[in-house]
Formats: sequence, structure tokens, C-alpha cells
Amino acid sequence: MRRSHSRAVPWLIAAAALSGFLAIAGGYVKARAASPTGSPTATAANSTTACARCHAEAKTEPSTPMGRALELPGSNPTVTAHPRLAFQKAGYSYLVETKDGKTTYSVTDGKTTMAIPVLWSLGAGNQTWVLEREGKLYESLVSYYLAIDGLDITTGDELIKPHTLEEAMGRPIEDREKKACFGCHSTNSVTGGQVNLEHLHPGVLCARCHEGTEAHLADTLRGKDGPTPPALSKLSSEDMSNFCGQCHRSWETVVRGPWRGEVNVRFQPYRLANSRCFDGADPRISCVACHNPHQPLEQDSGFYDGKCLACHAPASQPAQQAATPTVSQSTPPIANGAKTCPVAKENCVGCHMPRVNMLGGHLTFTDHQIRIVKPGTPYPN
Amino acid sequence: MQPAKLGELPSKTSPAGRQPEDRRRPAASLSRTCLAKTCVIQTRVIQTRVIQTRLPQTRLAPSRLARTCRLALARLAVARLALAIGVPLLASMSPMAICQPDAGFQAISAAAESARQQHDLVRAIALYRQGVQLNPKWQDGWWFLGVLQYGNNDYAPARDALTQFIALTPEAGPAYAIRGLCEFETGDYDRSLEDIERALMQGAANRNRNAGILRYHEVLLLAHAGRFEQALAASAEFSQGEAAPEIVQAVGMAGLRVSLLPQEVPQDDPRRNLYGAAGTAALAYMSGDTARAQQAFQQLFQQFPDAPNAHYLYGYLLFGKNPDGAIAEFKSELAIAPSNAAAESMLGWAYLLQENYPEAQIHGAKAVALNPQITAGQLVLGRAMVETGDVANGVAHLQTALSMDPGNLEIHLALVRAYAKSGLREDAQRERQQCLLITRESESHAAQP
Repeated sequence: MRRSHSRAVPWLIAAAALSGFLAIAGGYVKARAASPTGSPTATAANSTTACARCHAEAKTEPSTPMGRALELPGSNPTVTAHPRLAFQKAGYSYLVETKDGKTTYSVTDGKTTMAIPVLWSLGAGNQTWVLEREGKLYESLVSYYLAIDGLDITTGDELIKPHTLEEAMGRPIEDREKKACFGCHSTNSVTGGQVNLEHLHPGVLCARCHEGTEAHLADTLRGKDGPTPPALSKLSSEDMSNFCGQCHRSWETVVRGPWRGEVNVRFQPYRLANSRCFDGADPRISCVACHNPHQPLEQDSGFYDGKCLACHAPASQPAQQAATPTVSQSTPPIANGAKTCPVAKENCVGCHMPRVNMLGGHLTFTDHQIRIVKPGTPYPN
Repeated sequence: MQPAKLGELPSKTSPAGRQPEDRRRPAASLSRTCLAKTCVIQTRVIQTRVIQTRLPQTRLAPSRLARTCRLALARLAVARLALAIGVPLLASMSPMAICQPDAGFQAISAAAESARQQHDLVRAIALYRQGVQLNPKWQDGWWFLGVLQYGNNDYAPARDALTQFIALTPEAGPAYAIRGLCEFETGDYDRSLEDIERALMQGAANRNRNAGILRYHEVLLLAHAGRFEQALAASAEFSQGEAAPEIVQAVGMAGLRVSLLPQEVPQDDPRRNLYGAAGTAALAYMSGDTARAQQAFQQLFQQFPDAPNAHYLYGYLLFGKNPDGAIAEFKSELAIAPSNAAAESMLGWAYLLQENYPEAQIHGAKAVALNPQITAGQLVLGRAMVETGDVANGVAHLQTALSMDPGNLEIHLALVRAYAKSGLREDAQRERQQCLLITRESESHAAQP
């Protein structure tokens, strides 16, 4: 009989020394002090502008939610629109106050107050703040939620019962987690596997996904024909799922991880791969078959009908004609034959990709596990 | 978690593992509650007797004598705990057994209980044996027969009695636990491990003391079976607090990939120092005190510079948190022991997770060349080949790995990837379902080959 690996986990992922992390964070704070504009380097931004000369996608990408995944002080529309956000929980009072482009996160137990400047705001719309205190980084214990237009406990931290002001302020960010946070919310913050916040540029810009962008740009500016960044559009659906899954959590990552139940609805590559129709070699069921990462998310559910009909088209309408790839992909011969829906020919996602509420409705996600949803059936894990 | 010390008995009358006075129990079960109490008392008497009768017969050096005492006490603690956790378990079952229509059986069962209460071990065993012959479905009879025989060091008959009990009550975790310990004593290690693992899965280690005794044997048996990584994982149970020297030795042996049982290593064998030092360092790491662990490992390396698997052990522990440090340790290990297939496998695995597939393939191939039976090596080689484009050969190695370890999540994950890359949708879906099934059966997973 095989025993689970579960006991291996606590010591395998036990807390690591923070020495390297402190040095990096310290260096970053120093660099920021010398750069009051909040833009440590402009390379990524410049390259994005330069990319836009030839690539139209680069013009729109910075305004997408991914392009705005991290905001620096002075350029954060969320807190600018909400200069005073207050919240109380478990005997602690929180205030996120923005004045003159500077945001301060403070927490008090009524006797003592801890006030910390917000250096990094993660998320466009919903927002969590990364705080620095005595050389350590913390994830703010409260976050801004668009759905309630106010503060509440940060997703994932609901079970934390703070015993001290510091614990009420935020959760320490481990070294590995720091890579994940900044690696997914910014560009140029992780190089060679190491976090380097001095070169961070907010948001997911060209160079974050397209490896070799800087060299390609330099070659182009010199009029030289050099190697171009690998074409991501040529990735198979499986590889694309893993690529996007670097941040949105790949199927493997979620399978190895602790997330069971509705909490994993956030991880679209995992949910999509669990769909009966998922085929890692079929471009019609790829992330980019439906979503263009260079454009804002399409909210009209009717927009996606064509994507579904690419496979589930009636016999009178050949599948390949129905397919309108969101970004160009190499398309191998496609066999039709998927069943057609007996109920409707439009608004497919309304029934087959139900919306799932989390945190009492603070967050809502579309479940990417495409399926026939039967009333009363539990959430398929 | 409290430290689990094998040579230590509970100091209070109420033993660990036993529920507090069960006042909410239905009246029909009260007699069994009383049985539980008397059994505990009986076991304490057995303890005393064994100590009194055995020690004068042994002519051992003082240190061995002390060790023998500790082991005897540990064994008896197990019996006592078994009663404590097993009798309430019996009490919770549907009433049957003791009150049977047959007058002869009733008389024998009453006499057996009386003998047990009077601490007449030999007579109690004989009467229980007689009772179960008359009524083979007498659960309490088989249970007490097994436990009393175990306490009397009659391991084979105890095992057989517990086998009968388990046939009647298949979900009885404590019975598997004691039968596993009997099998350990009789040298049937494979079955012992199977029973102890089953007992643990059924919650027999629901108290610290039970957990300590069962996990200790689990570590020994896993290492003896060559399942060293799992033995180390089981050792994590002992990382909080001060572990007994026997446990430290066992952890060290598992970490250094030694298949011997501690009793197979003579007391004056210098390897015991090595095992102790390795166990101390490993437990320090598992406790989360990485600075103390680093110091302990450096001492280990200085004291035993050529010890096989010492660097491997540190690398294996570092791997989850500090892959670069782990790679350095695996390389150090291979400098000492170039034919260490496990180190080659883990080095390849570390490169694999860093997406350095060509390097992973080199070390996977070396591992398989050194030992084709090493599952991790086959996995690393197979997955690296899939990632570098040689999908067909990669799948072949993964299938080999799967035949050696069908429940290994990482192999199934690699097969998902391989089949998806091959366009074999149905196969990929089947493997995905298999992965989900495996993960549903456990809590979470570290990426380990």
C-alpha cells in the first residue's frame, strides 16, 4: 500500500533563510530613494514603445489588466480614485490613505499605529499592496475589492488570526513567493532565476513573455538582422497552457499544489485542461484561441460563441470556417464531429462555463472547465 | 508534537491513546468500558512480570541490558496502548460476542475475563483460545487473545489471533498496528510494513505516543525495504523536540540509504556514530532550523568525509527550498561516489525542474546506466527525452518507471505531457484522471521523483 507524500511537504518547503532576500530588498529601497519618479529604469517601457513601431500589439498591451498588473506610487488609478479606504477587522483598524501621489498603509490596535508607505500595488482593479518593513516584504492583510468598492481581508489570508500589530499589518513574503509575485506582476524583475527589483518595470510588458526582446530591439535599431524572439503563437495548446500557467497556474502546478475545491477556479489553465474537450494538440482549445493577451479581456459572452462553434458547429457549417483565432496560430488539419448543443446556438459560456463566486462575492471567476453543468452537481475538482 | 521516546512509558494511570472517561457512551457499552480499564491494569501487571522474569535471565552488558529494558518497555507500551485504543474501538462496534446463547461459551468467556482481571495471564490466554474455538466470531476473544499473546512475547500466535480479529473487523486500525508489530518481531518485514502503513492510514497513530511507536517502525521498515525517501518523509514526525537515540539512528540510516535494521549493527560498530550524526543533522533540517542543520552537516562532512550518501542526504533535504544548493551537494556526492545512481537521478531531476532538459537527460541516462532499476532515473530520463523532442523513447522510459512504481504522481504527470505532445488525447486524458485520482487520495505533493 502506498502512503501519501503529504508528510514530506512541511520540511521540504520549510522556511528558508532570508539573507539574500534582505540584500535585494535593501538594494531596491536604496535605488528607489535615488529615483523619486518611481521609475528605476525605463528600459522596458522604452522597449515597449519602440516595439509598437512595428508591432501594433505593443500599443494596446500596456492598457490591459496584465499590462497594469503592478502600479507604482504616483501612477495608481485605484488609490487615486479612493484616497481614503478604511476597514476594521478583529480589533484592528486599517487605513489606506493617498496624498500627493503617495499611499500610506496603516493599521492600529487603538494604542499603537503602524504606518508604512506602499511601494508596490499588485493588481488592476482588485489590488493588494506589498509593504516593506525593516528589510522584509509583506503582503498587506487587507486588499481593495472592486466588487464591494472597499477593503476586506486579502484572498488566501482569511484564516490568519493576527496576534500582533505586525501580523495584522501583513503576511511575510518568502523568498520563493517574492519571485512569483514580482515575476508575474512586472517585467524585468526576475533575471537568471534571481529577483532584481532595481530593474523592475510595472506590469506585464513585451519582454516579460517574449524572450530576447531587448536584443531584437537593439538589432532592429542598428538596422541589423538578428534572431527574433521565438513565436509564441507556434506553441501547441498544451505548451501554451503551460506558458500562461507560469502565472495563471499550470495544470501540473495545481495538481501538485494544495488547492482543492472552488478555490482552484482561479487557475484557468488547470480548469481548461480538465475539460473533456481539451486536446493539447488542437489549437481550437488553446488559451489564445479565445483570449488575446494584447487586448483587454472581452466581457461580451457572445464573443466566445464562435470559439465554441469552431468544434461544435452544425454539419452545415464546417468547423474550420467557424474558427476565428484570436491570435494567429498554425492550424493543423482539424476533424469536426464534436456534438452540437441541443439547447442553444449562442451564449455557450453562459451555461457551459458557469461563473463562480469567491469570498462572498468579492471575486467572480469564469470556470474554464467546459462541461455540461447539471443542477445540483458538485463543483468538479 | 511531543517527542516520541520509545523507552518511556506513560506516567499516569490513564494511558495515552485512551479516551477520557467515556460518560456519553450508551449503557450497553459500559461493560466494555470496564473491560478497557481492567485490560489496562492487566497490561501493567504483564509489564511488571516481563521485567521481573526476563531481566534475571539475560546476561548482558549493562548498556545492552538497559537497551533491552527500553525495548521491552517500548513493546509493552505498545500492547498497553493497543488496549487503550482498541478496546474503545471494540466498544463502539455493534454489540455481539460476549453474550451468546451457548452456556459453555458464556462460562468460558466469563472465566477468561475473570482470569484476565485476576492477572492470570496464562489461564486467560488458554480460556480465550478455548472461547474462540467455541465461537469463532467472538471479536473480543480474538482481540484479547492477540493482545495478551503479544504482551507475552508470543508473536506468531498473537499475529494469527489478530488476523482472525481483522477478518471480523476489517477497519480496526489498532489491530493492524499490533499485527504489524508482531510481524516485525517475527521478521516478516514486508507484511509488517503493509500492516503498519494501513494502521496509520486508519488513524491508529491518533495520539503522539502511538504515532511515535508506529512511525519509528515505519521508518525502519521503509528503509529496510529500500524506500529511503519515504522513510525520511516519515521521519519528519520526529523533527520537533528531542528524539530518542534509537530514532536518531534510524533516521540517519534511512538518510544514508542503509537497508539494515539497527539491531543488525553491533553496538560498538563505529558506523553508529556516523548514523547518529546523519540523523541529528537531518532532524535539525526537518525541524526548520536550517542554520543548525547546516552546522550539523558540516560537522558530519568533516568527521566522515568519505561517507557515502552524506552529501546526497543534505542535497535531498535542500532540494525543495534551495535547488542550487542541492545541485552542489549532489555534485559533491558524485565526486565521492561516482556510481551513486540516486545522486545522478536527483541531479537530473533538479535540472529538469530548472528546465535544463539536456543536462537533465545526461544525468538521467547516467543513472539508468548505473542502475536500470532506479525508478527516479527512468523518470528523469524519460521526461527529459520528451522535453527535448524524443517523445517515443521518452515514453518508453516513463512506462518502465511506471511499471516499477504505478502510483507515482510524477510519472503520471510526465506521461500526460508526453501523450499531449504526441497528440494522443485519450491517453493524455486518462493520465490526467489518474493524477487527479492520486492527488485526491493524499493532501498535497512535493515535486519529488
